Amino acid sequence: MSKPNAAQPRDIFFVSNSVNELGGITSWSHQMARLFSERGHRVHVVGVVPPPQGRVHELADDLPYKTTTLYDEHPPSVRPVRGLKDRLNLVEQRRRTAREAGMREQAAKMSALFRAARPGGIVIVTQVWAMEWVALAHTAGLQVIGMSHESFATCRKSSRFQRVKRFYADTDRMLTLTREDADHWIRQRLDNVGFMPNPLPFFPDVPSDRSRKCVVSIGRLHEEKGVDLLLEAWAQVAPRHPDWTLRIYGSGEEAEALRKQAAELGVAASVEWMGRTGDVPGALREGSVFALSSRGEGFPLAPMEAMATAVPCVAFDVAPGVREIITDGVDGFLAPPGNITEFARHLETLISDKELRDTMGEAARENIQRFSTEEIVGRWEDLFALVER
Amino acid sequence: MPDVSVVVIVYNDADRLPTAVQSVLDQTLRDVEVVIVDDCSTDRSFEVAQHLAAVHPGRVRAFQLPENSGAGGEPRNVGIQHTAGKYVMFLDSDDVLEHNACRNMLEAAEETGSDIVSGLCVRLHKDTRNQKRDEWYAWLYSTTRTLESVTELPDLFVWDTLSTNKCYRRDFLVENNLLFPKGMFYEDLMFIADAYLAAKRITLIPNQVYFWHVYEKATVKSVTNRRHEMTNYAHRLEIHQRIDALLEERGLTEMKLAKDVKFLKHDLVLHLRDLPFRSESYRREFAELSREYLASISPEAYERVQPIQAICAYLLQQGDWENLIPAVDTLTNRDKVSSPLAEHDGRIYWCDGHFDDTFGRAVLDVTDIGYHEKPVNKLFLRNQLTRFSEAGRTASLAGRITNPLGVIPPGAKLTGELEFSARRRSLQSFTFPVRVLRHEGDTLYWETTADITARLRPLGIVDTIWDVRLSLDVDGVRTTTRLTVADTELAGGPLPVRPRLTRMVADHIEPHISVRGHLAFRLVSESRSGERVQELIARGVQGKPGTLAKAGYRKAKTLRKSLVSGDNKLRVYHEVFSRLPIKKRTVVFESHLGKQFSDSPRAIYEEMRRQGLDFEAIWAYSGSPKDFPQDVTLVRRWSLAYLKALAQAEFWVDNQSYPLKLTKRPETTYIQTWHGSALKKMGFDQPALKATTRQEQSEQQRSLDRFDRFLVRSEHDVRTLAKAFRLKEKTLLRAGYPRNDALVRSRQREAELGHRERGPLAAELGIPDDKTVLLYAPTFRKVGGRHGRFELPFDVERFAEQFGDRYVLLVRSHYLNHVVLPPTVQGKVVDVSARHDITPILELADGLITDYSSVMFDYALLDRPLVFFTYDYDEYVHEGRGTYFDLLEHAPGPVVHTEDDFHETIKSFETQALEYAAARREFVAKFGEYDRGDAAQSIVDQFFAQWSR
Repeated sequence: MSKPNAAQPRDIFFVSNSVNELGGITSWSHQMARLFSERGHRVHVVGVVPPPQGRVHELADDLPYKTTTLYDEHPPSVRPVRGLKDRLNLVEQRRRTAREAGMREQAAKMSALFRAARPGGIVIVTQVWAMEWVALAHTAGLQVIGMSHESFATCRKSSRFQRVKRFYADTDRMLTLTREDADHWIRQRLDNVGFMPNPLPFFPDVPSDRSRKCVVSIGRLHEEKGVDLLLEAWAQVAPRHPDWTLRIYGSGEEAEALRKQAAELGVAASVEWMGRTGDVPGALREGSVFALSSRGEGFPLAPMEAMATAVPCVAFDVAPGVREIITDGVDGFLAPPGNITEFARHLETLISDKELRDTMGEAARENIQRFSTEEIVGRWEDLFALVER
Repeated sequence: MPDVSVVVIVYNDADRLPTAVQSVLDQTLRDVEVVIVDDCSTDRSFEVAQHLAAVHPGRVRAFQLPENSGAGGEPRNVGIQHTAGKYVMFLDSDDVLEHNACRNMLEAAEETGSDIVSGLCVRLHKDTRNQKRDEWYAWLYSTTRTLESVTELPDLFVWDTLSTNKCYRRDFLVENNLLFPKGMFYEDLMFIADAYLAAKRITLIPNQVYFWHVYEKATVKSVTNRRHEMTNYAHRLEIHQRIDALLEERGLTEMKLAKDVKFLKHDLVLHLRDLPFRSESYRREFAELSREYLASISPEAYERVQPIQAICAYLLQQGDWENLIPAVDTLTNRDKVSSPLAEHDGRIYWCDGHFDDTFGRAVLDVTDIGYHEKPVNKLFLRNQLTRFSEAGRTASLAGRITNPLGVIPPGAKLTGELEFSARRRSLQSFTFPVRVLRHEGDTLYWETTADITARLRPLGIVDTIWDVRLSLDVDGVRTTTRLTVADTELAGGPLPVRPRLTRMVADHIEPHISVRGHLAFRLVSESRSGERVQELIARGVQGKPGTLAKAGYRKAKTLRKSLVSGDNKLRVYHEVFSRLPIKKRTVVFESHLGKQFSDSPRAIYEEMRRQGLDFEAIWAYSGSPKDFPQDVTLVRRWSLAYLKALAQAEFWVDNQSYPLKLTKRPETTYIQTWHGSALKKMGFDQPALKATTRQEQSEQQRSLDRFDRFLVRSEHDVRTLAKAFRLKEKTLLRAGYPRNDALVRSRQREAELGHRERGPLAAELGIPDDKTVLLYAPTFRKVGGRHGRFELPFDVERFAEQFGDRYVLLVRSHYLNHVVLPPTVQGKVVDVSARHDITPILELADGLITDYSSVMFDYALLDRPLVFFTYDYDEYVHEGRGTYFDLLEHAPGPVVHTEDDFHETIKSFETQALEYAAARREFVAKFGEYDRGDAAQSIVDQFFAQWSR
């Protein structure tokens, strides 16, 4: 497969907390880095610190782009100064000074990388924490794009909210995941905000035929993913559809508690605990309905993958990203957050109606292609052109 | 070709022009050009423009009109001709563009292909300390949206009539020959209407794009520019007519209606407000101009505006000056009652007359506002000054106070006093008795003299403005009025006064009219030296020391505010009060967040009193302490006394929740009586709570874990409430609800006597013995509607007409909702919402009509008929948070959805008592098994018996 190269090859830097920390941002930035490289851009993925222990994402050996990690080890963490007591705390003061000196040193390394860029270069900061280093570096001649890879509501509840307002205000563009999130940020009076959806991670040649009596869920077993809610909903569905099973892929701290909950709800027999899978396309191909029960999301990849496999989704409508991906009643169903009765009702609708499942599944596979890699890379290149105009 | 051309127009504004131009040159979008058009200024504007062009060749060009055109339209037209960009924007020389404006507009335009992109305009008040901002119709700009036609959003067309916060495709302007009208005010209105209608696509973006700088001009309007005002109004109407013609031509009736609504709400109001201060001839000319235009306004528009706006338009149209001028007072002072009102056929009207005109009657009907239900102290009455004169050191005043619907009875004992107080708060005030007060039917006549020079002693400097109020005492109830100056001349000029601080600054006080049309006074200086001193002081106040002093004062104010803030109160509660010893034998009672003296806490309290226990009762109230018992300690909710009482109490007894963040001490026992069994999902069974994270849930749980005892009245409660609140089994107290003891006993007595006895409440409400009493008690609903109040789902007048001979309907809205009943239903429908305790009302009612309220579970104990009027069942059950059981299946009475069915059911009310007897018994067994009539006693025995004397 040969794609025409970009009209104007550029130097593109991704700056994240870490180059290879387990999680969505790492997968996303390496996917984008690969796509940009294929288009002939010169990509460099920069991480500020090494990932914490046990959270390492193994990268392929043959990356078509460079990676750099600034710090050898995590710099000392400091609290913000509050009140006189903090100001008089000499130990803390010394740590702070050391940290600031360290930050300048590392930012200088980054400046050196940036200086080597040809005109038209782009710096994409994927996390606001990393922006603190970019802000100290020299970015003259480059366009800086800051990103918030979560929904506005999630960010608002965290300490990142104030930092986004402070550090992204002067970037050439700030990007959120959806138009709706962007509008929220604009109303916070950040007038430089646009949006950029995530690209589809894969598009399988063979979709699911939705004939297996199987509902699939994929995700870490963490309370944020709301598997407890899914089990509650399943307990309303399972007795009426004893021939159906719920397959839960993923592992995590909640595994034990969730098994116990399933037993208490009397659905242990119809729930299959599959553990972590390395073959997501395979898992999805064997499903007929996909359940996304998260309490919070940004622009979730799992339902996109399910839709690409022509599996219709039922999801809690917890973020603009979710409603951007799933069109309620057309290629999937949305339930109000936490409303397990509605969630169960939607699952049941799809379970009991093969025809509807087929219509929605095919529609999903069709509709999700608006986030194909070609589409998204094209949007990025338009954006690069815009910030340069 | 540049991406965007910005046309900057200037007229005699040489100083600010460079800033405006710079805001374009500094845009994040680089390829932007500036076209300056000078409207033949008489100052250096054009030189400055040429200089800018010379300094920025290729980016700035300057043009000048051969002669002044008098308005902004023509310079913009000329500017458009000179632009080269793909897109065009307009900027005035005293305003600036937001830094990213051009890039955001361009991005939106290119993405959507829109002819017009419009963004948020922000008015910045440059003279205020923090540059107060004012977002221009922000509701239109809350999200990004693209319209295929302006008809999709008529509000945009009628409200955002600025031409400047927009970006136009140049070809679009040229092809449609879009130009500003020449030499006319409101040139924007016409241009933008044309442009909106011509646009094939319009995109709105929430970004700020344009900063409109507002400079307060201290110029006082003089008689000479009255002429100018009339021209203004004439131009406005002319433009409106032209736009109406455009809409007519295109058959856009919806848009015309929206525009009519805006005219009544906005355009007309702007001009009406000044009317009371204008001469007779001005008024006549104004009415002449208006009448013709008002005739073209659709009657439907009157229904979509506030009642007073519709009333004013109607009275103007009718030329009813006598009623219009007072009505304008209410237009300016919204809650004022400026008309004596009139009752006609059981409805309340703004004024007498116009009853033969159906349309007029509809417009003037103000029954729904509920004036007739308000006591005199809740009414803000118009008080028109009819005479003002001065003699030496004394002012003598007279006026008339409106007496709407005879709320002040002829025989009332009346006293009044005139109160002068400094506008700046917490300074001194002076009062003068009102000498004459005479009841004259529709009005109250008053007159008095005030020896201002002798009695009024301002401080000087700090209290320049003095407001005047007349406070009226009607049979011991006070109401305060403001003195409205309309046709009265404030003759006499300044009166001498002696300020306490210094007479250097001011030595006289002079009457004037406030912006709201009320009489006020201001300190002035008659001597020359005074003026000079004033200037010195002004300089001091604005200089360094003044700034410092003001900053210090502000800091002190902030500090005081933060000391009594919620956070600090919480800290005091936890760190101070909670360390004090527990006071033995104290109980803090609270019902419905302090709003009532009612429910189970009250029943427990009364049982404790009945048993003569020795304890200190503390009741929390919010709002008014009236209707709470006298012989208890009353504390206002969230006051320091309240927090202290809670911290030191031995018992908390409550039916809803004490403030969530207050930690309960282990030594304190919390008896949570709760306030009703559940139909709809509660606590952690609610979707909204299920969706929250574990950490958020645990915060909520902490406040629930404070309960030491939780009363339940059935196993249904155990399965629903107790589970939803995640309460431990040992917390549950299967005692029943103390508030329901009276109901159980009432039923027992009825069975023993063989007939129903009515308590004293029936007489108090004036209910005849031969009438059957029905109670309508719906659950809480979010309010909407024209007046933002809860509206009954059936026509009460129709109900009263149909059933008034047999039934009295009591209406009890949820304590957070409010209903207004028309006078026609008097004696037939009675509002009992204000009564704290519902139990006696339930006992009185021979039947209950409800929807989903938990009152059904309590009322069923009486074994009397219930009707369920669930007009919004699907919405309530499916779209809401869900229910624990299917009401349709378990309801111990007929369930109806429409008003007609409701009437049918009421007709056969008696037969149902028998029909549903079995269902009611089942219902009580299921939902009220522990309500046995001894709940209060058993609780008191269990917890408080040791306190007997």
